Amino acid sequence: MRLIVTKRVKPLRFGGIVIPFLSIVIGIFLATLALYGLAQVPPSLVYGAIGQSLVSPQMLQTFIMLTILGVALIIPFSAAVWNIGAEGQIIWGMISSAFIGLSVAVRYIMVSPTELPKYTNMPGMFVLPTPTVSGAYAVEALTMSPGAAISLMLIVSAIAGAIWALVAGLMRAYLDIDEVATTLIMNYIAYYAYNFIVYGPLQGITISTSGFGLSNALHPELRFARISTATTATWEGVALMIGIFVAAWFVLRHTTFGLRLRILGSNPNALKAAGINVRKYIVAALAISGAIAGIVGTILFAGNLYQLIKIKTITTPPTHNIGYTAILVSWLSMLDLRGIPIAAYIVASLFQAGINLQSSLGSVSSGSAMISSGALTYVLIGFVLTTFTVLRVFSEYSIKVVRERG
Amino acid sequence: MVKNLVKRFPGVLALDNVSFNLRKGEIHALLGENGAGKTTFVRILYGIYVPDSGEIYIEGKRVVFTSPLDAIRHGISLVSQIPQLIGSLTVSENIILGLEKYGMMANVRKVEDYIRRESEEIGIKIDPSTEVWKLSYTQKQLVELLRAVILGAKVLMLDEAITFLPIREKRRFFKFMRKFASQGGSVILITHKIPEALEIADRISVLRRGKYVGTVEAKAASLDTVRKMMFGERSTQITYERLPSSKPDEKVVLEVKDLWVMGDYGAFSVKGVNLRVRAGEVLGIAGVAGNGQLELVQAIMGLRKVRKGRVLVSADGNVIDVTNKGTGRVRSLGVGYIPDEPLKFGVSVENDIEENLAMLPLIARGVIKWGRLRKRAQELIDKFKVVTPSSRTPVKLLSGGNIMKVLVGRELSVAKRLLVAYNPTRALDEVTAVTVRKIIKDRVLRDRLAVLLVSEDLDEIFQVSDTVAVMNSGRIVGVFPIDKADRDQVEKLMVM
Repeated sequence: MRLIVTKRVKPLRFGGIVIPFLSIVIGIFLATLALYGLAQVPPSLVYGAIGQSLVSPQMLQTFIMLTILGVALIIPFSAAVWNIGAEGQIIWGMISSAFIGLSVAVRYIMVSPTELPKYTNMPGMFVLPTPTVSGAYAVEALTMSPGAAISLMLIVSAIAGAIWALVAGLMRAYLDIDEVATTLIMNYIAYYAYNFIVYGPLQGITISTSGFGLSNALHPELRFARISTATTATWEGVALMIGIFVAAWFVLRHTTFGLRLRILGSNPNALKAAGINVRKYIVAALAISGAIAGIVGTILFAGNLYQLIKIKTITTPPTHNIGYTAILVSWLSMLDLRGIPIAAYIVASLFQAGINLQSSLGSVSSGSAMISSGALTYVLIGFVLTTFTVLRVFSEYSIKVVRERG
Repeated sequence: MVKNLVKRFPGVLALDNVSFNLRKGEIHALLGENGAGKTTFVRILYGIYVPDSGEIYIEGKRVVFTSPLDAIRHGISLVSQIPQLIGSLTVSENIILGLEKYGMMANVRKVEDYIRRESEEIGIKIDPSTEVWKLSYTQKQLVELLRAVILGAKVLMLDEAITFLPIREKRRFFKFMRKFASQGGSVILITHKIPEALEIADRISVLRRGKYVGTVEAKAASLDTVRKMMFGERSTQITYERLPSSKPDEKVVLEVKDLWVMGDYGAFSVKGVNLRVRAGEVLGIAGVAGNGQLELVQAIMGLRKVRKGRVLVSADGNVIDVTNKGTGRVRSLGVGYIPDEPLKFGVSVENDIEENLAMLPLIARGVIKWGRLRKRAQELIDKFKVVTPSSRTPVKLLSGGNIMKVLVGRELSVAKRLLVAYNPTRALDEVTAVTVRKIIKDRVLRDRLAVLLVSEDLDEIFQVSDTVAVMNSGRIVGVFPIDKADRDQVEKLMVM
């Protein structure tokens, strides 16, 4: 008796839908068992949390950011250029859009407490909540139209992300230094630069922010418009997601640039012989990826946070490590652009489920409350992904049992 | 030994109910045109592919191979055209990778002695302690053969493995094959050179389009009967007559002046080469592989740095210096290029035919118009009779010969002034090879294309060249107009 494993000539019908679906169902079931066995988490709670999160409006913002980042990563990944540095590129996107939103697009007017009521309801003026060291209040007044300011924030954050990625791209293309290491290391450089900036150039001017590692708050007219009060997702975020997705699809499928990126992933030598400057393509792939990640920085800053807050420990950056989670999304999509939103939806839901579960566990008094929401999230994602990997083997290979007569 | 083997690839039935017998102690040649299924067949016997149906028997017992290790355990080994050794390891390390006789803790000295003994027996001279990356193609291929002989005690399968060996090594290996067979070993030999098969084999079997055609005794067969089996009616198209030619124009398209190019290992491979190719002329460069032809071609195409000298291409009345200007610049002047190792440098195997066309800047720029490309790909498929389910089939699913047709077709379509070709008909069967040569020659006659043709096949050189140059040790050692070229003299200069 022997097992014969052969690659299927045709992939399983509907495998693209059935396999991810089955892996979610089985993966969640296994995760429930594990959580019950290890920490006596009641299965009903887990199912409740997951059920909730699948339709929860709260996961929408995570979904949007993961989709955009998935697209950002699939571009260099299809060229076998590995951008592990989305984190750093997002951080620089945040810093640069904060620079525009907090210092280029606004001017600060100092007013004494007695004059303050005049300004509180004046259109276009935004009073920072606490006074400055001198006792006066700072009022943010726009120096340009909100539309222009937001556009500028997006453009500058894209440029900043692109430049940060470009450094690694140039080193890879011209010095042959592995981009996996450089992009990863540069994330940490970005974190420290971020902290330097919130204590330095972009530190707030009020008594509660200056020196506390906090920037000023973003002017409300520069904040993205939330879809509803139930979610942190914004209309601008949705529009950017759709725009970037369509643009990436067009570039990858319908331009020579996209085609050559895909060929670069499998056969760089053929491109060289065709007369293509492969180095430029490596640099461009990383720069584009960085630009998109930079835009996510603006979405995060102008859509959720409105303020730069110092990083207390290096493992808890304001990005919530979404730049790393996005690597998962692009792998889960099997480097197929169409799979990105689906993968992003799954990962975002499980992300949210972990958070939901944590809050419902808080209300159940048990020892299991020690499990952090992060750990719960990764238990769920881990089980689903493992199941997915196993099931994928079945979809791509057929397994037969053959009797051998000796 | 093999019964009713069937193997399907997406859109292609690669083997259709093939049965085959290999006797003990025989050399059995397996012939067929490109895409006939020869490679698929031996890969199944080596456990690389698993058949969709069919059975394999060894000495009456049914066996199932799911990996090459299974085949090796039964004493079967395979050598293909491209050496697959690990470059950073030494010869002996590469060989013991598959040896169960020496376990994990093998004594290096002992193994090297063993390998030295074996290689002397086979007639291969190689130092077992050399790292593989330092070896030439021929030497690497000899190591592969050595490894196969050591691993495969019973059945040795050679898939075009000795086709590109220099004559002397080939003769020596033939002698070994005879001895191996007389000691009870069996050999399956795949080659597209029929005379070779007739000379060395005991029996010859032919596959055509995945079907078994028949088996004949080599002694009773002739070139014509085998050709007929392989190609059917089309066998009459095979010819080694000179193709119609015309007088080249005065205009020089490519000029190479005192070119010096380094090889991979820090020594000059091209030493002061001067060449001129005129419009309407095929300049054939004859030479034994490894005498600097590859480096010369790469330097002309901008893929290898020129240390000294100039490469000049004339376009629209201007002479343009393209020395070290990059491949993109050379190609933008309307230069087609058929490289050595087509799977690595010619096409991208993961992509389909349309995409392999669109990757050239000369064919598509910016936004791709897929509709137009589909038409262009279809024209290529029709013109070169590429066997493929569609223009959107990934190239890796085509047979070696069909991939070559796609490459040649693409490059001819972009060559407006000059075509630089390195072994353009390697791996093509005779009928296709003649067709390709005719198409190239036709472009030369009609469009006054200039062609620089490097080939290790003298038949090819003499069939299409207007001028023959001989390259030896990095130098051009003789240039002859075709009517003054003497084959014996050329051969002498090649090995001088």
